[in-house]
Amino acid sequence: MDIAAIDRSATRDDGFLRAAAPISKLVALALVLAAVLTSFNVLVLLGVFVGLVAMGLAGRLPMRLALTLAAYPALFAAVFAVASAPDPMTAAVIIMKAVCAALAAVTVVLSTPYPYIFAPIQRIVPGIVGDALLMTYRATFLLLGKFGSLLRAVRLRAGARGHAPVRTLRLSASAMGGLLLYSVDLAQRDYDVMRLRGYEGRLRTSPRRSRDRKADVLVIVAAVLALATAVLWRLGAETLNPYSWLVPIPAVMALAAVAVSRPRKDPA
Amino acid sequence: MSHLHIPDGVLPTWLWVAGWLVTLIAVGIAGRLAERSDVRRKVPLLAIVSALMLVAMSSEVVPLAYHVNLTVIGGVLLGGPLSVIAAFIVEVVLAMLGHGGITVLGLNTVVIASEMLLGAALFRGLVVVLGRQRLRPAAFLATVLTLATTTLVVVGLVALSGAGATERETGALDPATLSFSNPIADGVFSVGLFSGGENHSDEGTGTEEPAGEEHAGEATLSVARFAAVVFVLGPFGWVLEALITAAVLGYVSRVRPGLLWGAANERAGLRPPGDEGVSR
Repeated sequence: MDIAAIDRSATRDDGFLRAAAPISKLVALALVLAAVLTSFNVLVLLGVFVGLVAMGLAGRLPMRLALTLAAYPALFAAVFAVASAPDPMTAAVIIMKAVCAALAAVTVVLSTPYPYIFAPIQRIVPGIVGDALLMTYRATFLLLGKFGSLLRAVRLRAGARGHAPVRTLRLSASAMGGLLLYSVDLAQRDYDVMRLRGYEGRLRTSPRRSRDRKADVLVIVAAVLALATAVLWRLGAETLNPYSWLVPIPAVMALAAVAVSRPRKDPA
Repeated sequence: MSHLHIPDGVLPTWLWVAGWLVTLIAVGIAGRLAERSDVRRKVPLLAIVSALMLVAMSSEVVPLAYHVNLTVIGGVLLGGPLSVIAAFIVEVVLAMLGHGGITVLGLNTVVIASEMLLGAALFRGLVVVLGRQRLRPAAFLATVLTLATTTLVVVGLVALSGAGATERETGALDPATLSFSNPIADGVFSVGLFSGGENHSDEGTGTEEPAGEEHAGEATLSVARFAAVVFVLGPFGWVLEALITAAVLGYVSRVRPGLLWGAANERAGLRPPGDEGVSR
């Protein structure tokens, strides 16, 4: 997982998704999630998926990264689906639900710096949880960098060999043990630095305002449309199911329009 | 690898809402306990251990869809209330990165927190029984037993969800026949994907079965199949995780024993060199 790339995308300035207020994007995420919860129609879910891809492209998000991240839960959902779904169609629905929900969450993460995502959670959980949440994200960057270097060192010093799995495992575990000790020291140093800088038990993040009201409206309206479609097709399933093929069409048209009109160079 | 990789919208609402309620109450209590016992200075350690678990859980072992959790190590290092908070933090960040469902976040926190608490308790208990010289076998055994137990909990949760995923319609494509019905001339034209679009209904035979009963049978079979798959694939993951946990805890015990046995060393005034900056 390339957290650095996620953070780079979140902190850029271009695209309407990054201009929208974090709270609007979180509300939209909740609405899309409600649509995913409501719908058991594979074509409605396909429409939501294509709509999310269109939004991501229009919002200048790195779509290769977004789709890779969204595909990761699909792999695990596939294991669950194959193991428990009574038929292939239900399995497809389960996987589509995983991909849609993940893509919606990833769209928010790729367009919003993490302190603004965690700010609403900070308000409802005890102070220690909110602080640790913010520090965890930062620590993840440091650990991923260090972990990469350690693995490279193990490989360069012939620690990882295919024909000696026991030795490889032992050396890799030692490397992880070293990483753990490094982490503990880092935590202690962090605490000392925070105390010196006046930390008294609360990290505060101020809410970020919208830079473009139209972007907020667009994000919310698109999410409401997704939820309305899912609810409509759920309530009138018997009548509307034969017409489910209509649902992805507007989303595909929107995607085609965005693909044609966007600049040739990928911002990623 | 024992937490739920079940997408949003598959489990029944009452189950995931209950998961969220239990999690919020547990995190609230853990937060209060943590603040009362002045472990605020442990916030960076909490963050670092959570990040370590996060890095492990987000690194997939291909091609088997495994990932290491490092939950037992986290539980041993953090102890009671902080383990619950760490489990919540890890699940929140994973959900935001699309790794786990947002609605199942509560249930996943319960599973991961149980894993951390049970793993740490078993590890400490086994070390008392076997002695510190046999730390690695103790860690191995504790991890395997913990993962087996939490996997059982996961299967139990899926069983509790009952017919959830099978009771609803799945769209224009009929799941019984896997055929698309023509929306314009209903029933005149149909294309089977895996069959010829045969009519599977019992209409006219006088042996009609209520849809609910039929689905209930399917759901029971599904849970059994899920349990079979999980308990066939699971042990490989348990052993992998247990080997890593045993090796890492063995290494830490050798290099920085104060991290594992800090309280005992503090009482005796025997802080090993290198542990000066570490406090429990």
